[in-house]
Amino acid sequence: MPHAARDPGAVTTPAGGGSPGTIELRRITKTFGATVANYEVDFDLRPGEIHALLGENGAGKTTLMSILFGLVTPDEGEILIGGEPVVFDSPHDALQRGIGMVHQHFMLVPKFTVAENVVLGSVSPWNTRLRRSAIERDVAEASERFGMAIDPSRRVRDLPIDVQQRVEILKLLYRGATALILDEPTSTLGPAQIDTLFGILRDLRESGHAVVIVTHKLGEVMQIADRVTVLKGGRKTVTVERGAFDEHSLALAMTGRELQELPPRSHVAGDQPLLDVRDLRISDRRGHGVVDGVSFSVRAGEILGVAGVEGNGQRELVDALAGILHPSEGQVLLDGADVTTATPAARHDHGLSAIPEDRQGWGLVLDMTIAENLALAGVSAGEYTRYGLLRRRAIRAHARTLLEQYDVRPADPDLRVASLSGGNQQKVVLARELGRDPKVVIAAQPTQGLDVGAADFVQRSLLDVRERGGAVVLVSNDLDELLKLSDSLIVLYRGRINYQASVASVSLSGVALAMAGNQTSAPVAEVA
Amino acid sequence: MSAVNLAFRSIAVRHETTLRSLAGTIVAVALTLGVIAAVLAGLGANPWSAARGLVSGALGNRFNIGQTVMIASLLILTGLAAAIPFSARLWNIGAEGQMYFGAFVVAGLGLTLPSDMSRWLLCSILVLASLVAGAVWALVPGVLKATINANEVIVSLMMTFIALEVADYGITALWPQPAAPQTRYLPVNATFPSIWTGTLVTAGAPLALAAVIVAWVVMRRSGLGFEIRAIGLNSRAAQMNGMRVGRVTIVAFAMGGAFAGLAGAINVLGMNNALVSGFSGNFGYLGIAVALLARLDPTWIIPSAVLFAILRVGSNGLQVQTGLSPDVGEIVVATFVILLLVFKVIRLRYAEAQSV
Repeated sequence: MPHAARDPGAVTTPAGGGSPGTIELRRITKTFGATVANYEVDFDLRPGEIHALLGENGAGKTTLMSILFGLVTPDEGEILIGGEPVVFDSPHDALQRGIGMVHQHFMLVPKFTVAENVVLGSVSPWNTRLRRSAIERDVAEASERFGMAIDPSRRVRDLPIDVQQRVEILKLLYRGATALILDEPTSTLGPAQIDTLFGILRDLRESGHAVVIVTHKLGEVMQIADRVTVLKGGRKTVTVERGAFDEHSLALAMTGRELQELPPRSHVAGDQPLLDVRDLRISDRRGHGVVDGVSFSVRAGEILGVAGVEGNGQRELVDALAGILHPSEGQVLLDGADVTTATPAARHDHGLSAIPEDRQGWGLVLDMTIAENLALAGVSAGEYTRYGLLRRRAIRAHARTLLEQYDVRPADPDLRVASLSGGNQQKVVLARELGRDPKVVIAAQPTQGLDVGAADFVQRSLLDVRERGGAVVLVSNDLDELLKLSDSLIVLYRGRINYQASVASVSLSGVALAMAGNQTSAPVAEVA
Repeated sequence: MSAVNLAFRSIAVRHETTLRSLAGTIVAVALTLGVIAAVLAGLGANPWSAARGLVSGALGNRFNIGQTVMIASLLILTGLAAAIPFSARLWNIGAEGQMYFGAFVVAGLGLTLPSDMSRWLLCSILVLASLVAGAVWALVPGVLKATINANEVIVSLMMTFIALEVADYGITALWPQPAAPQTRYLPVNATFPSIWTGTLVTAGAPLALAAVIVAWVVMRRSGLGFEIRAIGLNSRAAQMNGMRVGRVTIVAFAMGGAFAGLAGAINVLGMNNALVSGFSGNFGYLGIAVALLARLDPTWIIPSAVLFAILRVGSNGLQVQTGLSPDVGEIVVATFVILLLVFKVIRLRYAEAQSV
């Protein structure tokens, strides 16, 4: 049977005829246009190890891994498996040699069952003798063998995100992968789910699999990695064995500098609530409450941090505040005015700015120029038109001022936004949203994917809004960032506030438990 | 629609690579002509004499040039009718129907309004009426898209079938010309004056050029065009920044429809002097190809429309020269459209591969 399960247990003979052994990337160089993504990078991966690939965004991690699993062909350098040179023309080639990748965004068919997803692509389309029960038995066996309890008959779209991730891993193992690359595998997981994932990875290591985790989180590296390779600016800075690294040395290797402290914050929050959210409820298409009775208020000069594992209602909350999603119940008051059902344009008029989580999808028009992007809201509000015609000189003058103020590089208003780096793209969003001196700012994952310098700039800008007496709602997956910037903190779990405290009195374990859904140890306390 | 989608994305890379993409277009056109030559050779014709027949058929003398000019005028307008909604990522493929409805309204008004008005006034009224009629026809898919998110491709296509029947009703029942598949001829005062003696070129041609100028100003210099482009390139960001996507959707459709309606007026008032059954040789649909070849840029629509007009008008000469069936002309145009899209997709894939 073509879909028969692979040999169980330890790695001996990977499917497809690949030979086990050390995988080596030698002196890999890859350029895209004028950008050098990788320059003479060496990397090796041994069976039975967990190897962390660490670096800031744009350091070349993704390119290097894309080369390893066959998506990108290097300009120079070679790939060796067990000492023998190989050439990959496609991810399929790499998988034949036992190398597979779990992407940050899963490549699953939501409507298919777990079993169907797992065998997808490994079954010949001409095989007409497939039986659902046989496939499911096969997949169930495999999932047990690798220590993952997954019901093969469930539809993927009904599974929580961490289980979907396990399906991705199982899919690769089922096809005989002996080396797994996981791209930022913890970015969508909560603390408890991360522990489970790491348990699975350790089991795989025991059975002789090789695992690469691509990450920029130092804590995870300390927790799980046997070796670390650090990339910076497309070059390898160092590869070190466990025991020879600590967080401090890795941070230095990754960024090349020590971080400066944020400025001390003065200013106590005023009494006047600028944003008042009352018993907000939002239902998804199937009528489930994704935001389920959330109330809070943010005062002038206050930053409210919103923590939680991704997918617990943060996104919907942000969308409802920004005005692109209407709540089914509840009220949103902006500086006293009811804007619950107001359009984004009307909210702008009441002093709201929003920094969307997906800046390329919601924040920017990548194929328009910087000046045009900075004028988006202004044009729709009629600020930049006279007799219906664009006031192009005013648009460009406005852009020049903002570009200088927000240190966007290059500061050329006629450049397409798509050609800017992620950090500078985010600065364009900041310039547009903060440049109109808002009273209330909704910032969703504002530093996600940014390098340290740009993230620092974003954080300072938000603190600056606070200093000027604005109110900020900061939604972030990065707990450190929330603790650093917020005055008070709420944790969302399944659409409800599961924890609430001023940052001064916050308990880390309480937050972690609340994120995992545990309420007993952390009663919702009124913010002082 | 995936070819159209891909073609659309090519507009995105325009700014930086105008020169390179222009060279690419020329190469694509040259390769396309090469393939067509091979097809003709395969059909047993001498490609060289076919080409001579094509060019002389389209441009060989004053009269033929005039024909090409008028067909190009229609294609400019149907090209704009596609290009403007396409710029907002709205697939108006109903220019054919919007043109027919414009022609129907213009023919009806031209035959019923008092013909003792001044020619200038009467023609102006009819032109305005054609703009309104085309816009109204396009409002149906536009409004349905904006309010209930109905698929504009299907609605605009269905509206075309209705418009064809409406036009036939005018021809056979309302204003029939005995023994001919057309309406009665319009009074002279209701038709466009000729502007080039010895040809059939009328005031319709400069109207098409004026439409290009209007479209360029709207798309490149007005707040509305800015919103249309922003919505086309990223409707979510546009919405987030306070743009009213539904309203712009309706306006973009109406503008496209107005240009198509004007094409109908030019045919009735400036070419046939009557509403003729099946007057459009698929000009409405050809407008889509014109717009895509021009990358939705109003100024590039002129050369794009001229090229298609040469192919269309020249195919008569091609038949004379090669003795092939009249269908060969259609085959040439169709091959041309398909190959251009193929090359466009190939180049886009290539560009994507370069920028991973």
